[in-house]
Amino acid sequence: MIRVGTLFWFVLVSATAFAMFGVKYQVQALDDELARTKRVTAAEEHETRVLDAEWAYLTRPEMLETMNHQFLSLAPISTKQLRTTVADIPMRPALPAPPPPTENITVVAAADSTSPTGTPSAPEGVPTTMATPIPITTPTELPPTQSALRAMPALLEKSAAAPQVVKAVPVKAVAKPATPRRAKSLDDLISQIMASR
Amino acid sequence: MAALQHFDDNPCRPRHFKPPPCAPIVPEGPARQALEACRSRLFFTSILFACVFAVVALRIVEVVVLEGGSAQSHMPRFRIPAPPVPARADIVDRNGKLLAATLDSPSLYANPKQILDAADAARKLVQAFPSLKSDEVYAKLTSEKSFVYIKRHLTPREQYEANQLGIPGLQFQHEERRVYPDGTLTSHVVGYTGIDNSGFAGIERGLGDTLKDRQGSLQLSLDLRIQYVLREELQRVIDDFTAKGAAGLIMDVNTGEVLAMVSLPDFDPNHPGATDPDHPGLSLADRMFNRNTLGVYELGSIFKIFTVAMALDYGTSTLTSTYDATHPINIGRFTIGDYHGKHRVLSVPEILMYSSNIGAAKMAMAAGGQRQREFLSRLGLLKAPKIEVSEIGSPHFPAKWRDVNVMTIAFGHGISVTPLSFASAAAALVNGGILRQATLLKQPPGDAPSGQRVISPTTSEKMRKLMRLVVEHGTGTQAAAPGYLVGGKTGTADKVSGRHYAEMKLLSSFVGVFPINDPKYLILTMVDEPHPNKQSHGYATAGWTVAPVTSRVIQRIAPLLGVEPVDESSPEIQRELAVESLQGKKIEAY
Repeated sequence: MIRVGTLFWFVLVSATAFAMFGVKYQVQALDDELARTKRVTAAEEHETRVLDAEWAYLTRPEMLETMNHQFLSLAPISTKQLRTTVADIPMRPALPAPPPPTENITVVAAADSTSPTGTPSAPEGVPTTMATPIPITTPTELPPTQSALRAMPALLEKSAAAPQVVKAVPVKAVAKPATPRRAKSLDDLISQIMASR
Repeated sequence: MAALQHFDDNPCRPRHFKPPPCAPIVPEGPARQALEACRSRLFFTSILFACVFAVVALRIVEVVVLEGGSAQSHMPRFRIPAPPVPARADIVDRNGKLLAATLDSPSLYANPKQILDAADAARKLVQAFPSLKSDEVYAKLTSEKSFVYIKRHLTPREQYEANQLGIPGLQFQHEERRVYPDGTLTSHVVGYTGIDNSGFAGIERGLGDTLKDRQGSLQLSLDLRIQYVLREELQRVIDDFTAKGAAGLIMDVNTGEVLAMVSLPDFDPNHPGATDPDHPGLSLADRMFNRNTLGVYELGSIFKIFTVAMALDYGTSTLTSTYDATHPINIGRFTIGDYHGKHRVLSVPEILMYSSNIGAAKMAMAAGGQRQREFLSRLGLLKAPKIEVSEIGSPHFPAKWRDVNVMTIAFGHGISVTPLSFASAAAALVNGGILRQATLLKQPPGDAPSGQRVISPTTSEKMRKLMRLVVEHGTGTQAAAPGYLVGGKTGTADKVSGRHYAEMKLLSSFVGVFPINDPKYLILTMVDEPHPNKQSHGYATAGWTVAPVTSRVIQRIAPLLGVEPVDESSPEIQRELAVESLQGKKIEAY
């Protein structure tokens, strides 16, 4: 009888000991986890602070102005540009034709496939026509992006201000020669390039 | 018993050798039984221990050979703690743009006793930090001390590189450093801190305790974009007119918030002691001097707005009153004359429009010295201004307010005030008559601080019309910014040099308010000792120097501030700003 009791107590003691150690290690692991999370958070916060400071440094007005001169050439808004209210801006002319598929109007410079002649693919022999800027046609045949771009200089001229803005944004994009269609062979490509010069 | 017999029976046993008993001889009986039980228990225990040791051995094999996955889980407890939260709050502008930040900038130090290969360590360190000198580092690493600084205040990148070197014996010491990303742009407002991060100037000093206790960043009323525009235009006027310095501030007339405050020349708060590469001749004290809050100046003719406002508010003059400005006034050893006099009788609007000293002096005399003093005191011009920066200048004014003082103060001589005090007082004249304390802290929107009434709303309205007249027809025509209805007043003062005024040293200033029909912002600009150039036809007066600055600044900042341009020639606005006494008369140009 005594032996059974001893065994019972022995099992109980070892079970509690195991349980206790188990819990202890669990707590320790959680503690570590907590400490690690806290440390990582603090490190991230510190990182954020550094990045914030760096961002502030890189976007200081002086730097923005330099970059503006280099890439955008935007001028301060003049009073004349602000004089027009929303009501003064003319509506876009109505488009009788349905707009062409979106894939063709994404890049204006490469929009030769939507050229007003309507030819889906240009003949190989005449790549010179491809190198010309967007041909003059009635605006109704142009995709919306193009017509908007073509209308924009006129819009801005009306307000007769900020010549730099007028120069910078739309004219460049439109004046850029259209990229020739994908050449069938290398020789074809070379001849296209030569022709475009 | 059996063991004993076994020894005894050995024939080779030397006679003198008696083996020690290796186990007690236990006779048969209960003791023997107990011993047997003991043995069996020992056997079981040893098996148990053997199992435990086997487990430990297996675990060792697992950890060492098979790299048990959880072996690293307890490591972090022994790592270096993360940098603590910075002890000083950030400063941001009204749009949340960072102006001052506290960054962790650890210092690299070495314990030479722990350095294994000093020569190799020195070579690696010099490779990572080219600014270090090889022999110096080597000398440090071989010294007898146990703590030598290798490099103070590392950048995060440098810290990373130092860590990558992996030299045992190198440690980082946690240190903090105040960083000002915008450099010189806000130097006088934000100020700077010393090596132990205590504020030495500006907000850093004025609100040092607040910054230490504060959680989260401190938001100023400053707008970095506007500050930039103002600084750029002031720098331009300095360059154009080879001036000594310039100052300017832009204030919200309805709340007292300062949106921009620039004083030139300035300094870089990141390196406050460094000399300016562009202007090596300028002293440090000169560059740290905040002209807006610490400098007191005889501002000249822009003071006439106070004279006119006083006379109108006390009722000693009306808009139709006239004063004879034909001849200069001689009083004592002074002669008060006009710069470009009309030499005729002038009405009150004309006195302001053509900036007549004679007229202003006579107006002030009509009101009397007591009223003048009382009025200036009410506007807060006879005491030091209150603002969050630590640099505050006290005004200079005569202790005894004699007649000659009354006359000179009427056109802004004989009294020196800070530009900040002037701006606060001028804002009160146009905003309907409420004087509010200037502040550099952002006020909650829609919650204008309660001010103190200093003039009646009617007088304020008259002042707005008169200031518009100055820009439309008077001395300040170059300050006009089409569409923004600028009103203002020019001021060109002779600087005091020794005991008398120096004719060739000018202080040109301009106070502008826009839009004058519903004042929102006030801009005060001042240029110190401008020299005439070709474009200005030989003039260095306010109309040619700071008035164009005001115009350019307003045209650039108004879109940023959301002020919509209006049609200045529209009949409503013309009616709103018309001065009745001048109706129907042909206004003579300045």
